[in-house]
Amino acid sequence: MSNPLIHIEHIARTYEMGGETVHALRDVSLDIFPNEYVALMGPSGSGKSTLMNILGCLDTPSSGVYTFKGLDVNEMTDDDLAEIRNKEIGFVFQTFNLLPRATALKNIELPLIYSGISSEDRKERAIKALEDVGLGDRMLHRPNELSGGQRQRVAVARALVTKPSIILADEPTGNLDTKTGIEIMKLFQELWSKGNTVILVTHEEDIARHARRIIRIRDGKVESDTINPNPVTSFEIP
Amino acid sequence: MNILESIIQALQSIKANTLRTVLTLLSISIGIFAIIGAGTAVSTLEGSFNTQLVAMGQNTFMIKRTPSVNFGNSWRKYRNRKDITYQQAKEFKYQMEGISLVSLHNETDGYTAKRNNFFTDPVVTLIGADENFFVVKNFVIETGRAFGMSEVTSSAPVVIIGNDLVVQLFNGENPIGQFITLKNQQFQVIGTLKSQGSMFGRSLDAQAVIPLTVFSRYHSDEWTSSVEITTKAYSKEQLAEAVDESIGMMRSLRNLKPWEDNTFEVETNESVSSQFASFSNYLQVFGLGSGLISLLAAGVGIMNIMLVSVKERTKEIGIRKAIGAKRKWILFQFIIEAITLCQLGGLIGIFFGVLAGQGLGALINTEAAIPVNWVIFSIVICTLMGLAFGSYPAWKAASLDPIEALRYE
Repeated sequence: MSNPLIHIEHIARTYEMGGETVHALRDVSLDIFPNEYVALMGPSGSGKSTLMNILGCLDTPSSGVYTFKGLDVNEMTDDDLAEIRNKEIGFVFQTFNLLPRATALKNIELPLIYSGISSEDRKERAIKALEDVGLGDRMLHRPNELSGGQRQRVAVARALVTKPSIILADEPTGNLDTKTGIEIMKLFQELWSKGNTVILVTHEEDIARHARRIIRIRDGKVESDTINPNPVTSFEIP
Repeated sequence: MNILESIIQALQSIKANTLRTVLTLLSISIGIFAIIGAGTAVSTLEGSFNTQLVAMGQNTFMIKRTPSVNFGNSWRKYRNRKDITYQQAKEFKYQMEGISLVSLHNETDGYTAKRNNFFTDPVVTLIGADENFFVVKNFVIETGRAFGMSEVTSSAPVVIIGNDLVVQLFNGENPIGQFITLKNQQFQVIGTLKSQGSMFGRSLDAQAVIPLTVFSRYHSDEWTSSVEITTKAYSKEQLAEAVDESIGMMRSLRNLKPWEDNTFEVETNESVSSQFASFSNYLQVFGLGSGLISLLAAGVGIMNIMLVSVKERTKEIGIRKAIGAKRKWILFQFIIEAITLCQLGGLIGIFFGVLAGQGLGALINTEAAIPVNWVIFSIVICTLMGLAFGSYPAWKAASLDPIEALRYE
């Protein structure tokens, strides 16, 4: 078996809140390998968002070991973390999080700007990414001129444009109707089958069923970590 | 990230909050306007002034009752000075012979020259002069001739007229040998002066030069009874010596005791410029002072608007950080935005400042100078302001926690 992309060993995360210590994560260990399709599940308050933030290098654990592609994340500075987020992780958020004043194309170019790609290269890659999610004809539209599904596609294109090691999607269908949600899930399925590593964070069983491995979090601990015996592969749009 | 990208971004966010931004920019514009306006005014006046000084000649100095430029309350000091009489001046001229060339003259304003049915505007300066006047004062004869010593001594009713009179009275005719009337007295035109243009908006061609003897007898009143003495040293090297000599001579002619101050002014090109310079310095310091105070207020406004902007765009900053913007990018973006704001306000101020200066130039009929130094100074100041007042908000933006920022609604 190849080396894990993500290796987490006994990590914990505590916050100080009004003089009280909150244990968001208590003792979590897991490995995620290349080209896995993982769903991270749990009710609100379970610690799954904290875990996602740590996996996404937006936050660092209070204790324990986190290595990303063999690099010790705990040792990294804020700028190192920014670089990892930029090059290795593609975020897709529930609320899309596009820049409202920028066109679809500019939004997708943004991560490339931060990784110092030349402007022609940038544009070419952004156009390609937008075409890959089927929005080649919406390049100069601003987010408020796009439907929810289209916005999420732009967000996916932005996540993909840097060719990251992991796509980290936080409730990606939470703000979409069922039909559009299924379209987005189809897109993730495609990405996975093309060799991408996908981590879904969700509290919906229906969405989690698409993943090949389901990790359930409760009270800051891993409750179960199982292979999904019947992943959804056919997409019937109701 | 390149600067252009940041500037475009800054302009977009300015566009998104036009009114708020314009109000803040206004205070920068006012500050820069004060600086540039004063700068333009000074440059314009200086330019016009220096042109005239050069025309006056390097080795020339004047002795007169009161200084030609004064401001503030200093006139009280001069008010009681006795006139330099024609007799005193004549004696001075006689004694200075061989040391330097001396010309005596006196002048009065507001004359109307007439000929038949032609009138000039009532702005003619009547100059009473001696035979050295034309050489010493660089008054160049265009046609005809100047008057000589004999015509001065004999009080001959002859006149040499400036270009405005030629145009307004003669309408293309040859004026030489013709007669004109100045205050009920007839004069024969024997020469015309080469055009001298204008200074501080006043035409220098509305002039008529008559012998000083005639002037003293018929045209001097209590305001214009003091003769002005202009002395031209034979060379630049002799100037200082001639000035010293003249002061000593004037003191003895005016019977001053050794402990008394001079009761007359000696003005060289240099001393006139320095009088003017102290006036223009006041103007500049005033412009600079009021400008800087207004810029300080503007700076606080800039910081405020940037803090609001950071607050409003917390989510945007969160997104940028999540997709990999390092601290320095965020810092850079907001500082560039602050500088862009300041520059925009500054450019508006420069534009209107220069415009006001041009307006002043047009008003006094001189070509307005654009004070390049002050424009550069303003651009530098605006950049420094953006840097100084934008740094803290930018630092705040760069220090935001990405998770908190993403959650912000």
